[in-house]
Amino acid sequence: MRPLTPKRVFWICSVLVGVLFVMVVVSLRMGAYPISVRDIVMTLFNGALGRRDRIPSDFWLVVFGLRLPRIALGILVGAALATSGAGFQALLRNPLADPYVLGVASGAALGAMLSLMFAPQVPGAIQAAAFVGAAATTGAVYFLGRRGGQLDSATLLLAGIISASFLSAAIMFLGTTLSGRDQRGMAFWIMGDLSSPPSLNLHWLYLVLIVAVGSIYTTSSDLNLILTGEQEARHLGVNVSRVKLVVYIAASLLTGLAVSVAGAIGYVGLIVPHVMRMIFGTDYRLLIPASAIGGAIAIVFADTLARTVVAPTELPVGAMTALAGAPVFIYLMRRSVR
Amino acid sequence: MSLAISREAFLFWCDTEERLFTPWRRLFTLGIASALLLSAAAQASTWRGFPTQAMVPGTATRVVTDEVGRTVSVPAEVRRVVTLAPNLTEIIYALGLEDRLAGDTNYCDTPPAAKAKPHIGSPVSPSLEAIVALHPDLVLATTSINRRQTVDALARLGIAVYTSDPRTVRGILDSIARMADLMGATAQGAALAAQLQARLDALRARIKDRPAVDVLFVVWEDPLVTIGQNTFIADALRWAGARSVIESKQNYPRVSFEEVVRLEPDYIVLTMDHEGAEENAGASLRARPGWSQIRAVEQGHVAVVGSGMDRPSPGLIDGIEQLARELHPDVFAATTAAMSSAAKEFSICVR
Amino acid sequence: MSASAENSAAVAPQTAAFGQDAPVRLNVEQASYAYAATGRSAPNFTLGPATFEARQRELVAILGPNASGKSTLLKLLAGIVKPLSGRIEVDGAEVGTLDLRTRAQKIALVQQESEVLFPLRVWEYVLHGRYPYGRRLRFESDEDCLLAGNALAQVGAAELRDRWMDQLSGGEKQRVILARALAQQPSLLLLDEPTQHLDIGGKVELLRRLRRLADESRYTVLVVTHELNLAAEFSDRIVLLHKGKCLRVGAPAEVYDRDLLEEVFEAPLEIEVREGGRPRVILRGNL
Repeated sequence: MRPLTPKRVFWICSVLVGVLFVMVVVSLRMGAYPISVRDIVMTLFNGALGRRDRIPSDFWLVVFGLRLPRIALGILVGAALATSGAGFQALLRNPLADPYVLGVASGAALGAMLSLMFAPQVPGAIQAAAFVGAAATTGAVYFLGRRGGQLDSATLLLAGIISASFLSAAIMFLGTTLSGRDQRGMAFWIMGDLSSPPSLNLHWLYLVLIVAVGSIYTTSSDLNLILTGEQEARHLGVNVSRVKLVVYIAASLLTGLAVSVAGAIGYVGLIVPHVMRMIFGTDYRLLIPASAIGGAIAIVFADTLARTVVAPTELPVGAMTALAGAPVFIYLMRRSVR
Repeated sequence: MSLAISREAFLFWCDTEERLFTPWRRLFTLGIASALLLSAAAQASTWRGFPTQAMVPGTATRVVTDEVGRTVSVPAEVRRVVTLAPNLTEIIYALGLEDRLAGDTNYCDTPPAAKAKPHIGSPVSPSLEAIVALHPDLVLATTSINRRQTVDALARLGIAVYTSDPRTVRGILDSIARMADLMGATAQGAALAAQLQARLDALRARIKDRPAVDVLFVVWEDPLVTIGQNTFIADALRWAGARSVIESKQNYPRVSFEEVVRLEPDYIVLTMDHEGAEENAGASLRARPGWSQIRAVEQGHVAVVGSGMDRPSPGLIDGIEQLARELHPDVFAATTAAMSSAAKEFSICVR
Repeated sequence: MSASAENSAAVAPQTAAFGQDAPVRLNVEQASYAYAATGRSAPNFTLGPATFEARQRELVAILGPNASGKSTLLKLLAGIVKPLSGRIEVDGAEVGTLDLRTRAQKIALVQQESEVLFPLRVWEYVLHGRYPYGRRLRFESDEDCLLAGNALAQVGAAELRDRWMDQLSGGEKQRVILARALAQQPSLLLLDEPTQHLDIGGKVELLRRLRRLADESRYTVLVVTHELNLAAEFSDRIVLLHKGKCLRVGAPAEVYDRDLLEEVFEAPLEIEVREGGRPRVILRGNL
C-alpha cells in the first residue's frame, strides 16, 4: 500500500518540467534561421537582465520575436487543452470525452468566425468572441444536459455532440460568405495556428490558466471518488453537483482560452491525459498537473515539427497533432489491456 | 558546472524528508516558478515593435498607405525585397529589378530564373524566420493569396509589408506603378504600366464593335468553381471581349452543371499550369461525364490559356490578348504575324 | 430482546448481552415520505409513519416484500431524501441537517455494485472511504492507511489488497465494498439487499460477517432484505414493512406471526420455532 504523497507529485512534476525545459531548448534551437544553443542561451540571459544592446538585433528578433512567443503560447495551449480533457473525462466518466466532443471548441470557433466577419480589424476581437462562444456553448450544453435537475453524463454527451454538429454546420454556412482572403485565413486558423500571438497580454492568459487549472486541482480528490460512481461519491460526502459545476466551468474556460488563441487543435485533450494515466495511474491529484505539463510538452513538440518538417513552409499545428495523435492513441489502446 | 548544480538540487528535493515538505515550502516553490514563468512570458509578450532591419539612425523612410489601408513605413532606399506570391515575383522581373529580389516563394516559377532564388515557403504559410534571415527592406504581399495573419506577424516584427489588392486590370497596372515607385524605380514602373495599357487600348480598339462572348471561366473542374464578378479575372475577361455567364458576389463560386447548361456559354475557358497538356484539353473534357452536355464543349469551343490568366501580373495582358484572339479570330486573322514575342511563352489550343 | 440473550446455535453466532444501556445509534420517530410523479399530483406512494430505533451492536433487518418501501426507508435513513414529517436522528443529530462530510462520517451505505471505470487497486478503493475526514484536497496519512488495512482485515480480504478491482469475483468485490464502508468508521452501516446475487453459502457467510462486525466491532448494522429466514437468524430486531406501512417492530420471535406474514408476503407459510427461540419460515402444503 503506497498512497500518493505530495512529495511524489512534486517529484514527478519536476521531472516533467525538466522534459518540458529540454523540449523548449530544442524548439528554440530549431528553425529556418540558424542560431546556436550558446547564442540562444546568451540571448535569453541578456534578455532576462534587460541588456538588449548586447545582442544582435537578429537574434533578439528570432528568439524573442518569433520562437519564444510561439513556445510560450504553445505551453499555454497545451496545458489548457490537456487539463480540460482530463476534467471532462472525469466529469462524464467517459474516456473519450474531450473539449471537441462537447462542442465547446466549435462554439469558440464560431465566435471567432463571427468576429472575423464583423470586426476583423479590432485587436483582441477574435479572442474575446471565441471566449464568448465557448462560454455560451458551455451554458447551452449544460442546460441541455440536465435531467431531473441534475447533470446526467449520457445526456450531456449527447447534447455536446448535437451542439458540435450544429455549430460546425453554422461555421460552414457562414464560411461561404467570407471573402477569399478571410476564408484562407480562417481555414488555416481552424487547423491550429500558433504563429499569431494574441493581442491580449500573455500575462492575463497565463493567469486565467493558473486559476482554472488550480480550481480543477482542488477538486481532484473529489474526482477520484466520482470516478467510482456518482452515487457512491455522494454517500462518501462529495458535493457532486458543485464539483461538476466547477470542473465544467473551468474546463470550458480552458478550452475557450486555447481555441481563442490558437484555433482548433485536436487530440491533445484526449491523448495526453490517457498517456499520463497509463504511465502514472488514474489518481487525479497527480494526473491534473501531469496532464498540464504533458500537454505543454506535446504541443511544443508538435509545433516544432510543424515548423521544420517541410521547411520553409509551416504546417498548422492541428495537422501535426492529428497525424501523430491517432496512431499513438490506437497503439496505447491496444497495449493497455491488462 | 550548471549540470552539477542542477543534479545537486534535484537530489536535494528527492531526499527531502516529509516533514520538511510543509505547505509553505510548496507554496513558495510554486510562487517562484510561476514568477519566473510569467516574467519570461512577459519579456516575450511585451516586446512589440522591433527596429527595422535597415534602420540605422538617420535612415530616411517614407510613410505610405498600401492597398488594404495599412500605413507602412518603407525605407527610402529599398535594396532587398522579398515577395510572397508568384505574381509579385513576375512583376519584379518585368520591372527589371530582379537583382534586388532577396527571396521568393516555392511556387514562383515564372520566369524560370525565379526558381533559383532563396525560398521562404508557400504563399499561404511562409516561414517568418526565413523572411527575417533574408533581411528584407520591403516585403510584398497580395490579397489574392496571402493571409492577413502573415502580414500582421511581419508588421509586428517591424518589417515593412506592402499588400496589393488586385481587383481590376487597371488596378493591377496602377499597383505595378506604385510598387515600382516604392522601390525607387518610378520610371520603369510608369513605363511598364504605360506599355501594358497601350496594348490593352489597342486591343480594345480592335474588338470594341464585337459583341461580348459568353464564357465560363473554369477555376476548378471538380467541384466546378468559377470566378465572381468582383475579381480581376472577370475584369480581364471583359478586356478580352468576353463576359462571364456567372454573376456572383462571391469570389470563387461553385456552380452546378445544370446551371451551366442552362446558361449556354459560347466558350469554356480553362487555365493550364504547364505546357504540353493543352492539346488534349478539349478532347479530354468531352470525354468527361457531364461536360459533354455543354454545347460549347460539344462544339469544341474550349480555350486554354496559360497560367498568366489567373495571376495579377504583366502576364495577364498576354493572356487577355491570347484569349481575345481565340474568341474573335476574324478580327485577328490579318495580324497573326504580329504576335508579341512574349506571347509565345503561352500556348493556345483550339479544339 | 431478552429472548435471544443466549444462543448456542451453530448457524447464528452468539449475540452479546446488551441491555437498555447500549447507546442508541439510530432513532426514527414518525418519519414519513411520499413520492409523486409530478410535484402537483397526488402521491403515488406513501411511506410511514415509521418509528423504531437501533442501538450499538445491533443488527436490524428491514423486512418486506417488493415495493413495500424498504428502499425508500433506506434513503431516508441515509439522508438522501428528507422526511416529510418526523425525525431521523443518528447519534442524536438529525440526519437532514448534517452536512455531507459529517453524514459520511456517521453513515456508510453499501451498494451492491460498483462500476470502476479506470484501473484501480483494492487498497486505493478502500482508501476512498477515508475521504470524509480531513480537508477536501487531501493526501492520505499513515493513520488512514492503517484504518484501511484494518477494514480489509475485518472483512477477511486482507490478501486482496494489491489486486486490481476489475479482476475480483463478485463475492470478493462485495467484501471490498464493505471494507470501504468500514473505513469510513461509521456509526451506522446500511446495506441495501446485499444478498441478492449470492448463493446460499454466500448469503450465510455475509450475514455471519455482519453479525461479527456488530458484535465484535460494535457497528450498528441495518440490512434491507426480503429474506425471511436470514433475517430471523441473524437480526436482533426486525422492522416489517408492507405497502409503505410500518406494521411491526420487534425481535424476530415477536414479529413473525403466521397470519401477519401470510398477509404481507401473500404466500402460504408456516412458522417453526427452533431451539434458541428463533423462528423459521417454511412454505406450507402443496404448491
